[in-house]
Amino acid sequence: MKNLLAWLLWLWISAVIVGAFYYAPLAMGFLGESSRILFFHVPMAWASFLGFIAAAVWSIRYLRSRNPAHDRAAAAAIELGLLFGVLATVTGAVWARIMWGAYWNWDPRQTSILISLLFYGAYLALRGAIDDQDTRGRLSAAYAILGIVVTPFLFWIVPRITYSLHPEPVINAEGKIEMESRMQHVLYASGLGFAALFFWMHDLACRVAALRERKPAP
Amino acid sequence: MWTPASTWAAEALAVFVKEWRCEFRTRYALNTLGLFAFTTLVVVSVNLGPLGVSTAQGTAVLPVLLWLILLFSVAAGLPRTFVQEEESQTAVALRLAATPSALFCGKLLYSLTLVFALAALVTPVFAAMMNLTVESPGLLAGALAAGGYGLAAGSTLVAAIIAQARSKGTLFAVLSFPVLLPLLLLAVEVTRNAVLGDAAGVALPQLLLYDASVTIAGLMLFPAVWNP
Repeated sequence: MKNLLAWLLWLWISAVIVGAFYYAPLAMGFLGESSRILFFHVPMAWASFLGFIAAAVWSIRYLRSRNPAHDRAAAAAIELGLLFGVLATVTGAVWARIMWGAYWNWDPRQTSILISLLFYGAYLALRGAIDDQDTRGRLSAAYAILGIVVTPFLFWIVPRITYSLHPEPVINAEGKIEMESRMQHVLYASGLGFAALFFWMHDLACRVAALRERKPAP
Repeated sequence: MWTPASTWAAEALAVFVKEWRCEFRTRYALNTLGLFAFTTLVVVSVNLGPLGVSTAQGTAVLPVLLWLILLFSVAAGLPRTFVQEEESQTAVALRLAATPSALFCGKLLYSLTLVFALAALVTPVFAAMMNLTVESPGLLAGALAAGGYGLAAGSTLVAAIIAQARSKGTLFAVLSFPVLLPLLLLAVEVTRNAVLGDAAGVALPQLLLYDASVTIAGLMLFPAVWNP
């Protein structure tokens, strides 16, 4: 059953890739084909946030239950959140080079995602510095929950300090979406695909972590 | 466990008094914070001096430098509050003696007095040495109070976390800076408005909201951090 789902996911994402290049039209006002990065860059950022929110949820569950599986799930979610976050940052930088002429220009989006990644990198450093399994679970869970309290402030503050060239976020303040309908189809399909990809990879990572804990390191 | 408010307040106060009594025995935090702040002040002043920075550059640069001095002084001295408990193995007795929330508030109160004393000492000297004129001193005091509170609250919680880990000194910097970064951005913004004589704007309410969020998160998370 799980194998079948993995194959379905593979088919779904392949269809998204084909759709991104042959079904969706180009957006107005972008250089060349550069607007097509939207269908991969934006879902990567979504998957990254999904990882950080999921990690906070699993951390709360760990503090309630003290079940080591919940701790492993939180850590795996943060590792994957970091992976998707780095991918979103790199794809964004490539796009910025084409559109704005520089890979990095401290756009508010770049600043806030960088600080978020810094926070979750610190989470991994904390985990590495504690040997006892229970202590590690407790302290890193507390830190992950602190992250979800503190990082949202960045998304208010940083845009005020510098002017942003970043295209209007898909989920914006006015609550309306200005996008051609075929582009919307591909974007949402891709978002769904990346969310499923996240949970599939998360399941694998949790199983690997559980196996690693059962077998003592040589 | 339910405790009457009066014993809770007595516990918090007892922790606060104990902290200062221990502090006056060694004067560790006072010496580190004071000397660190003084050294950085001298470095900044020698290199930028009153003649080195124009007024326009000064309003842009000096608030950032002031908060950097405060941040690094705090990072040098404050983790001690919890690290010392683990190193001298008094943490177990403290766990038995006080409820976690009272302990957190007592420690926070101690950090707060230390940070406020530091800010009250450093800021006038900094303003005098750098020839910084502040248009609205009231707003500056507000920025220092709200920002100092956030510094104390954030670093108290992070200090409790790192005290139980290895390589505590470096870990404190790594863990606390991403937590304190939004606070610093807001505090610098309010301080700059105070220097220029502008209105506080939306940054001051956001700074207070940050303080409240970190306090509530600290009170909720501290029992899990403190009790094994």
